Amino acid sequence: MPRLDRLPQISRNNLLTFPAQVNETAPFRLPAKPLAACRLAVVTTAGVHVRGDRLFTPGDQTYRVIAADTPTVDIIQSHTSIGFDRVAIMRDINVSFPIDRLRELVARGELGGLGPNHYSFMGAQREVARIESQTGPEAARRLVDEGVDLALITPT
Amino acid sequence: MLARVLEAAGVSTTSISLVREHTEKVKPPRALWVPFPFGYALGRPDDPALQHRVLRAALDLLAEPAGPVLRDFPDDAEPGDQPGAPPQASGIKLADTAPSDVAMEATQMRRYHEVWVEKNGGRTLLGLSGVPATRFRGVLRFLEEFGGGGEADMAERPAEVPLPNFIRYCADDLKTLYFEGHLAMKPGAGGEEIARWFWGETGAGRLLRRVRDRLDASDDPRWKAAAFGIAR
Repeated sequence: MPRLDRLPQISRNNLLTFPAQVNETAPFRLPAKPLAACRLAVVTTAGVHVRGDRLFTPGDQTYRVIAADTPTVDIIQSHTSIGFDRVAIMRDINVSFPIDRLRELVARGELGGLGPNHYSFMGAQREVARIESQTGPEAARRLVDEGVDLALITPT
Repeated sequence: MLARVLEAAGVSTTSISLVREHTEKVKPPRALWVPFPFGYALGRPDDPALQHRVLRAALDLLAEPAGPVLRDFPDDAEPGDQPGAPPQASGIKLADTAPSDVAMEATQMRRYHEVWVEKNGGRTLLGLSGVPATRFRGVLRFLEEFGGGGEADMAERPAEVPLPNFIRYCADDLKTLYFEGHLAMKPGAGGEEIARWFWGETGAGRLLRRVRDRLDASDDPRWKAAAFGIAR
């Protein structure tokens, strides 16, 4: 799940009519180093950000920067769609933004390290032209400048 | 789409996917489809072992020699049996009675909420309106007045935040106060159970239905959008 055939009618219709891009191939770049030597950043569409940062609004195509050393307690979510169960993230932010789990992987030596920043976009977007042409490439340039090898992309 | 943009710019990506049908079309370079409901991308809250298994499965895709790669996470027993989406207010029957004094009810919930925050090392999703829980009576008066058709506004609303957006943030904070407070009262409660309690049995749920109705009655699409975000 969410298996479409098990969703309520309104959610199913919403997803079936969602204007998903159709692509035949994908850009593909092999990581140059093993995981234990790679620097990773999270790029999420969960609409999370640092408490006090500018809130997301529906359809917002900008992004927020979350410094990697931000205490987990300082991260909130302004993506509050009633299409998903927010109780999960109320209990544990790692269910969408696995910040503590990644810190554990680094501590165990399985992952080389984390980039200085994570990046967060708003979810449930039907119009993404600006993310594709402007804010997405901008976040990508920042990740490259920050020496990040890998991005983990998480939804909500 | 975002994964493709990043990959093309030189950052290798691996994605967690919730809607397989969309991922098949978009074709990110590497995606792990997980059989979990929206809001549960890493499996289950407070289950680090499951979260690590999901994370490991997503990171393993980086060893694939060619792509696009779309792999299914093998678990499909639990927690995939949870409902795919929470119930909506319109589908929840109102209890015969609810506390009429929402301020009193909210004060009680604030105490539970304090327990929740304490128990969770300070973590809470409360904080979108910018009004602290200790001054939440003001938010309630504002929502009551708005829901009743009055010319309501709050001094705490930043100038750049339009009124309907601010109302939505206040409503989101009110829900968070109650939902997290309920989790303190009943730690095992699931999202569906809490939603049924909130919309069916609380005075705050009734208040938000009135706020929603007034927003939805407007011709302004921004007001209608806020109504849609509060309850439907």
